[in-house]
Amino acid sequence: MRGITKRFPGVVALQNVSLSLAGGEVLALMGENGAGKSTLMKILGGAYLPDEGTISIDGARVLLSGVREAKRLGIALIHQELMLAPNLDIAANIFLGSERPGEPSLMMPLPRLQMNARAATLMRRVGLTLSPTTPVSTLTAGQLQMVEIAKALSHNARFIIMDEPTSSLTSGESEQLFQIIRQLRSSGIGVIYISHRLGEVLDLADRITVLRDGRYVGDLSRAEASHEKIVAMMVGRELSKQYFPAKDERVPGESVLEVDDLLVPGAPAGIRFNARRGEILGFAGLVGAGRTELMETIFGVKPALAGTMTLDGKPFLPRSTRDAIARGVFLAPEDRKRHGLVLPMSVAQNTSLPNIGNYNRWGLLDRAMERRVAEAEVARLKTKTPSIHQKVVNLSGGNQQKVVLGKWLAMNPRVLILDEPTRGIDVGAKAEIYRHMSALACEGITILMVSSDMEEVIGMSDRVVVMHERRIKGVLAHEGLTQERIATLMTGTAEGSVAA
Amino acid sequence: MRRELGMSVALGLMCVALWASNPDFLGQSNALNTARQISMLGIYAIGIGFVIIAGGIDLSIGSVIGLTGVLIAKISSTQPGGMGSPLWMGICVGLSVSILIGLAQGLLITRLKLQPFIVTLGGMLLIRGVSQTVVQGGTLSLAGSPLLGLANGGFLSANGDPLLPYPLVIFLVVIGLATYFLHFTVFGRYVYAIGGNRDAAEYSGINVRKVETATYVISAGLAGVAGVCYAAYIGQMSQQVGIAYELYAIAAAVLGGCSLRGGEGTVLGIIIGSAIMRVIDNGINMFQFRYHDHEGIARIWRLDSNWTFVIIGSVILVAVVLDQVVHIVQAARRTNRAGGAPRTEVTEVPGSANS
Repeated sequence: MRGITKRFPGVVALQNVSLSLAGGEVLALMGENGAGKSTLMKILGGAYLPDEGTISIDGARVLLSGVREAKRLGIALIHQELMLAPNLDIAANIFLGSERPGEPSLMMPLPRLQMNARAATLMRRVGLTLSPTTPVSTLTAGQLQMVEIAKALSHNARFIIMDEPTSSLTSGESEQLFQIIRQLRSSGIGVIYISHRLGEVLDLADRITVLRDGRYVGDLSRAEASHEKIVAMMVGRELSKQYFPAKDERVPGESVLEVDDLLVPGAPAGIRFNARRGEILGFAGLVGAGRTELMETIFGVKPALAGTMTLDGKPFLPRSTRDAIARGVFLAPEDRKRHGLVLPMSVAQNTSLPNIGNYNRWGLLDRAMERRVAEAEVARLKTKTPSIHQKVVNLSGGNQQKVVLGKWLAMNPRVLILDEPTRGIDVGAKAEIYRHMSALACEGITILMVSSDMEEVIGMSDRVVVMHERRIKGVLAHEGLTQERIATLMTGTAEGSVAA
Repeated sequence: MRRELGMSVALGLMCVALWASNPDFLGQSNALNTARQISMLGIYAIGIGFVIIAGGIDLSIGSVIGLTGVLIAKISSTQPGGMGSPLWMGICVGLSVSILIGLAQGLLITRLKLQPFIVTLGGMLLIRGVSQTVVQGGTLSLAGSPLLGLANGGFLSANGDPLLPYPLVIFLVVIGLATYFLHFTVFGRYVYAIGGNRDAAEYSGINVRKVETATYVISAGLAGVAGVCYAAYIGQMSQQVGIAYELYAIAAAVLGGCSLRGGEGTVLGIIIGSAIMRVIDNGINMFQFRYHDHEGIARIWRLDSNWTFVIIGSVILVAVVLDQVVHIVQAARRTNRAGGAPRTEVTEVPGSANS
């Protein structure tokens, strides 16, 4: 790709970006959110046409005029939200859109047996040992990813583009994916790998291309790439050493939330831990370790089957989210677009939503108060929005997360549960969220932070609860915390040793 | 297939109960009439099934049924108000108009990205209004038209009744074609894929707009076919014919396992759903209870037909509630199995979590 420019009404998403990929190479494409990675991908996948610039394959100029054309030229795109039909089986999904090679007739019968046989071959290549007629709705996130890759291989893709493929995978599944990617590489397929996770990228990529604000910043070879260099290129400045705020000023106080023998629906046994005033308590574990379910139980989404909790020494057993909210226990959920925000509503409306009953004056909605509160929260969190009347859907991930935080801060939290607080948020906004979390803890708010980002867990937590298969494997103090110690606990290879 | 199985058991039980209460239920004349009714509903229920499985909705088919019949009567009737042209011309115009209606609605929905509910709601009212202007508020009789033979005639005559009425024959042909296209062709696969995940279908290079438009053409086209049958069956066309039929079709499809979220449903299920709707309808008239009152006089208790809608509505609600309850129970069992034995063991937190 050479000199690609793409404009959208009001913004230039890509400006004069060039990119090259050789067969048998893994190229990592990195950049903050809004850097233009997705737009570039969509152009390669045939979903958008570039306004300027050329794309060539093997030296010949090509026009990627549509999804079919891109596919025909051997480019396959694997979206972050997997593009599979849950009501169909694996074979149907692999060959969706190309059921009968060469003859695209709608009225022809489906060659089911042949499809199943070909699907089985492709599935073996990606290490799937299921039957091709397994419904896709029963697969795990990792298996879905493999089906997508098999789909790409089914039309002899020469280039496969993956958008944050590991964002919903467990580390075991990720490892499997990396093996498949290495296999693809050795069979001469070029892979463009988009990820926010620096560790994976450094591990996997032959070369790294960095974008910033829709412009090409530079290339790093595997040899010259390092954590700091990539981050510096992505954000355009050297991040201070204090990426994670210091903990010195913070002294966790007395125990605020005590959880005793709490039986979360679906868990094998009761769970026990406590959280202290002004403490950031991290929850580490693999996807599916039961952390989100535990948080949902504490927040009253899925009430506990048994066990007790106390908040400030008084019994606390929420049967619904309203019970939890009434006691000052708030959840900023993992999937903020689905559970955290009403996207088509404005910043102000989202901010007032959980407390809307108190925004009334003689039975009418008190818009002046709504505006005041929203403005105060926007100012406190430095949310970047043109106005509080902006629809949340138009904000970036980091600013959306700030709106979620703001709506709870407006209600004076006692315990704030943050489930994957920085997922899908770029490096600059992450640092800001961390500063706010630290400031809130200093104010005496108890923060429960679920995170799959190991650096985040280590950097932010005062103590870390490690979960494995819906049980707590151990509680580790911040002193002497290492990735290895957490990893051995969360993969279940060792029992917890020390508790703080 | 769970839904289909459950519903066919329910249908079987219903038939047995009705037959026990009134043997005439399976008598030749009632059974054939019910079969005709099931066939006519089934024809357009299968049509709307395509739309529903692709994740859309079509509210206009009742009006299309009405308009088809009205056009046939207007063009081919030799009675006052009719134009007296040949019957084939009336049928051709009626069917072509219904297909064009489907095409127009499909294009509006897919090209302009309008919501199917709104487009077909507008279509429903507009087409109903056209019927009204054609009949000028009155009725058009088809008396003397050879079309009437379509409803009453058929193959394999026995005791003066055809054992295979023409509407049933048409229904069987529609079933065959629909099964082939929905379950065995590339087109059918695309219909399910679009209903299951539109974006996935789009990104798989499927011409989503074309396939979706086709479902609306099929829906309106089969409504036209049903309209021909109803015109023959009723023989007197007014603006009232076909009112609320789309709702029966949706109910039949949902009873048979279609989800209005799209991506689910089978032709077999829709057939069973249509049969249930019509057997209930017929059963309300047929059900009787013989008893002797306290003076020993034999009496027969019958259902008041004013209760028809109460009963049909309840059956639909009970069916979806039961289905959902089964679903929840199964999900709960799965969770329990995944969780293992609850409660008995207490987590060992080495070194204790408390400080």
